[in-house]
Amino acid sequence: MACKESAIVVDGDAGSARIAAFQRDRRELVRRGLAFGGAVVAASSIPLLASVRNAFAAGEDDSSILAEAIRLERIAVLVYDRAIESGLLSTRVERVAKLFSDNEREHAGALTAALADLGAQPPAQPTVKDIDSVVGGIGDVSSQADVLRFAIEFEMAVVAAYHDAQQKLSDAELQQLGASIMANQGQHLVVLRQALKQPPVPNAFETGEN
Amino acid sequence: MDIDSFLRDPVSRRRFFAGSGLTFAAGSAMFAAACGDGQDTGGVATSREEDDAADVEILNGALDLELMSVAAYKAAAARLRGEVLQIGKLLVEQEQEHADALVSAVEDAGGTPNRAKSSYDFPELRSQRDALRFVLELENTAVAAYIDALPRITKSDLRGTASAIVTNEAQHISVLRGALGLPQVPHAFVNGEAG
Repeated sequence: MACKESAIVVDGDAGSARIAAFQRDRRELVRRGLAFGGAVVAASSIPLLASVRNAFAAGEDDSSILAEAIRLERIAVLVYDRAIESGLLSTRVERVAKLFSDNEREHAGALTAALADLGAQPPAQPTVKDIDSVVGGIGDVSSQADVLRFAIEFEMAVVAAYHDAQQKLSDAELQQLGASIMANQGQHLVVLRQALKQPPVPNAFETGEN
Repeated sequence: MDIDSFLRDPVSRRRFFAGSGLTFAAGSAMFAAACGDGQDTGGVATSREEDDAADVEILNGALDLELMSVAAYKAAAARLRGEVLQIGKLLVEQEQEHADALVSAVEDAGGTPNRAKSSYDFPELRSQRDALRFVLELENTAVAAYIDALPRITKSDLRGTASAIVTNEAQHISVLRGALGLPQVPHAFVNGEAG
């Protein structure tokens, strides 16, 4: 955890506003974790989810934002694949996880094509460290409900990241692509919340901060 | 306006946002944060007054669409029952929240917000299924219109707010599709064109 917080300071803008935002996000995620009883969203995954939420914070041009988005979508694929592999899911929820994994893969493909159109190379595949740092949190769950709650936290972080990205992207088509992906992630949230019998659309403005 | 033609004609629905920029100013909790010092990203330099005038036109187009959605959900509610009626009540409240925010944004940009029409030429809704399909089509229209307008938003933080509305409308689509027994997430990209 301390290592991750240090990484934000060393690798990021080192601006106080950004660090404060990270700490605020982290506190919010900790609060949610405690609200779930302390064991549902594993403590070890909390700062890592915060790093997902802040994935686009350092991107200052379209290429770097796209690269971060591709990395995020590839990890999202792995989140759902790891959920399926957990053996904790019912047949119906497993089908949902497979669909969402496919959706995330499609996002990654479209973003990779967009990055190529800008003349940039796609980022390296996620490393074992990347995977463990985010997907590892799902290894601490012990029931389908735990998996669903983790997936909700992850999707919220992804929506928040795209919300940030929408404010930074300059290309018109990329703004539209980003919005159509963010909307899809919001739909994932509806299905996941309904599976947990939570209110599916709790807020009129879905920013991932709700 | 012929509502049926409107819903099926992408050109007509895009005219809701036909101005040069979609900008939301302060006035609600969401839009307040977006007011004032957002980064302008448009390539053409325009005066604050020109931006505001264009904003009012675009915002009023969005407001028309949200007000029509509120009226549509109220019309549909007469055919909804039980849990589905409760869903309808929630979704109309959220459409009203969007409309309220847009009213404030128009006023803050120095304009006069459009008002709801006294009546809308909605199709006859004979059943719950009819009602759900009608509001579903309207939600898809809203998503298409907002996404089409998104690049014309001049202030970066306001583009984020518009995306939050689009995402909420997409969530409505999933809820409505679920109530109709349809796949709730039919596509990986939500653009309102493929209902």
